[in-house]
Amino acid sequence: MTDAEQNLLKVTDLSINVAGASPDLVRGVSFTLTKGETLCLVGESGCGKSLTALALMGLLTTPPLSVTQGSATFQGRDLLQLPSGKLQALRGNSMAMIFQEPMTSLNPVLRIGEQIAESVRRHKGVTRLEARARALEMLQRVGIPAAEKRLDEFPHQLSGGMRQRVMIAMALANDPALLLADEPTTALDVTIQAQVLDLMRDLQAETGTAMILITHDLGVVAEMADTVAVMYAGQIVEIGPAREIFEDAQHPYTIGLMSAVPSVGARSERLVTIPGVVPSAMDMPAGCRFASRCPFADEICTKIPSLVDLGQMHQAACWKAPLEVQMAQAGRISV
Amino acid sequence: MTKTDIILETRDVKRHFVTARPIFGAPTVVRAVDGIDLLIRRGETFAIVGESGCGKSTLARLLTRLLTPSDGTVIYDGHDIGDLPEHEMRDLRRDIQFIFQDPFSSLNPRMTVGALIEEPLRVHGIGNAQARRGKVATLLSRVGLSTMSADRYPHEFSGGQRQRIGIARALACGPKVIIGDEPVSALDVSIQAQVVNILEDLKEEFGLTLVVIAHDLAVVRHMSDRVAVMYLGQIVEMGQVEDLFACPKHPYTAALIAAIPVPQIGAKLDPVQLAGDPPNPIDMPKGCRFHPRCQFAQSRCRTEAPKLSDTNGAHSVACHRADELNLSGIRDLPNTRRSSARTRFELYRTARAHSDGVKDAPATI
Repeated sequence: MTDAEQNLLKVTDLSINVAGASPDLVRGVSFTLTKGETLCLVGESGCGKSLTALALMGLLTTPPLSVTQGSATFQGRDLLQLPSGKLQALRGNSMAMIFQEPMTSLNPVLRIGEQIAESVRRHKGVTRLEARARALEMLQRVGIPAAEKRLDEFPHQLSGGMRQRVMIAMALANDPALLLADEPTTALDVTIQAQVLDLMRDLQAETGTAMILITHDLGVVAEMADTVAVMYAGQIVEIGPAREIFEDAQHPYTIGLMSAVPSVGARSERLVTIPGVVPSAMDMPAGCRFASRCPFADEICTKIPSLVDLGQMHQAACWKAPLEVQMAQAGRISV
Repeated sequence: MTKTDIILETRDVKRHFVTARPIFGAPTVVRAVDGIDLLIRRGETFAIVGESGCGKSTLARLLTRLLTPSDGTVIYDGHDIGDLPEHEMRDLRRDIQFIFQDPFSSLNPRMTVGALIEEPLRVHGIGNAQARRGKVATLLSRVGLSTMSADRYPHEFSGGQRQRIGIARALACGPKVIIGDEPVSALDVSIQAQVVNILEDLKEEFGLTLVVIAHDLAVVRHMSDRVAVMYLGQIVEMGQVEDLFACPKHPYTAALIAAIPVPQIGAKLDPVQLAGDPPNPIDMPKGCRFHPRCQFAQSRCRTEAPKLSDTNGAHSVACHRADELNLSGIRDLPNTRRSSARTRFELYRTARAHSDGVKDAPATI
């Protein structure tokens, strides 16, 4: 693998702020992505996962939002510094995005064939006919039956699952090196979700596209991710290979999140919850942002924890990690 | 099963919506609910699951007569609520309450939380103003909100807190049945768990019967005693939650179970079982409604609609081939967490139990 493939995207210390007010909505987010890798950003609403993706695409609403620091090197260029014209040449071409709501992100008055062809013509400079042929090819690749007929239909004539397939076809039409998918299956039924996830995985294996998948569903994460970054209140609190995160979760938030999901296997008596709600920007704790909801928090947690190595590429930002070791040292448990 | 065990019952209930009435030709009819027999027992949690458009929300609205049936009957505690006069129905509504999916659009933004919760008490003429205020305070603290919230407006609360307000409102006039239409699906995972626990506690405390409409099978499996699976307006399988998840008999149920994403690495093995979208409910397939998507369909399935076997039994199914198919349900997955991680999860569970007893800590406002 060449160096460019090793570090297809390298995000360093990304922070996003709203109209000069502190604290940051996203604080110090760093990760790297290699060719063909899937990184899942997991977290609850308001944790900054979508803002991170929008910042990379240059789609933040500025003002009031602005990137206050950090860099995002993609194919040798810093996305956060690129002028809008240069970004426009990248968007839909070498990087593309899929949104949650396929109905509101497709143009309701344009035939779907034209919508897919539009990005091909915009970026590849091909003729109308060639672009249409490419649109047809893409529709067939995403498994839309009777693709030739569908090409001339409008978005409202398609079901939710079909619309999301069209979005995927559109995003992949120019063979992007990077795909950002923001909750691509959240609006879909489980059976359709399974189909769309399968499709995304197959296409990714074919094209080697790297993907940032944003989701709140740990089941989807387990199915899709190579690397998982758990976000809470604007920060990555734990990051590592998917297997490490699922089998050796370290951060109390990750543990709480995993405990709160009802399991389909053994039926549990009562769900273990995370108390309270995510603090609002006004009363964000100065130290560890999870401290106000963490059952293990004490004085040290009023200081900001940084990500520390806890295993194979596995980092968590918690003063108490590894929990079982620290609790044993504190004499709270015997191991 | 004696008669009094049944609190809510439907007999061949149907609800058809006419979507278009052309000048020539037949009107276009959506058969949202098309002949459903249900027996819901006192004190149980009964879940209705299915994909969007299968008619589960219409059925929930029929159960509370937010919609009237086109045909068939809905019986609550011996009363046919299909043709009760409106004033008698209003009295019955004290007993049957509804929790809506979207906590953002189901609360009047111009009423304070106190007024919202008090409204059902006022409508039913329960207590005087002072007693009602006391009751509002009790209800608020019961769902884990501070009593100070009574003077605030819904927009000041998060989704999970609004859903708690919706629950307090539903509980206000002492219902016997609560019907929840996707009560937790709009909420984040950690908040969802809090609300699920609250619903379970309240059910226990007030001896409620819960009817939950949901698409999240993991939540359904956690909460409910019995489940009915709906497909295109009809029930295709119904039974005890353990039976149904362990050995589904209908290919549709099996496909739904196989599609659940399991939060464990390597848990996903089965390839996608169910191709295509659900058909349009205006243009229903002949024979078994599921046959165009069913991998086991035979010629009989294309012509003859299967009937739901024995609705009184423990596990009923509407499939011609139910007996010969050997479908797999949920698998028992080994716990793949490392022992140190297991210790951590145990520590977390204990710490949570210590910090707030058995109840969930109230969401601080």
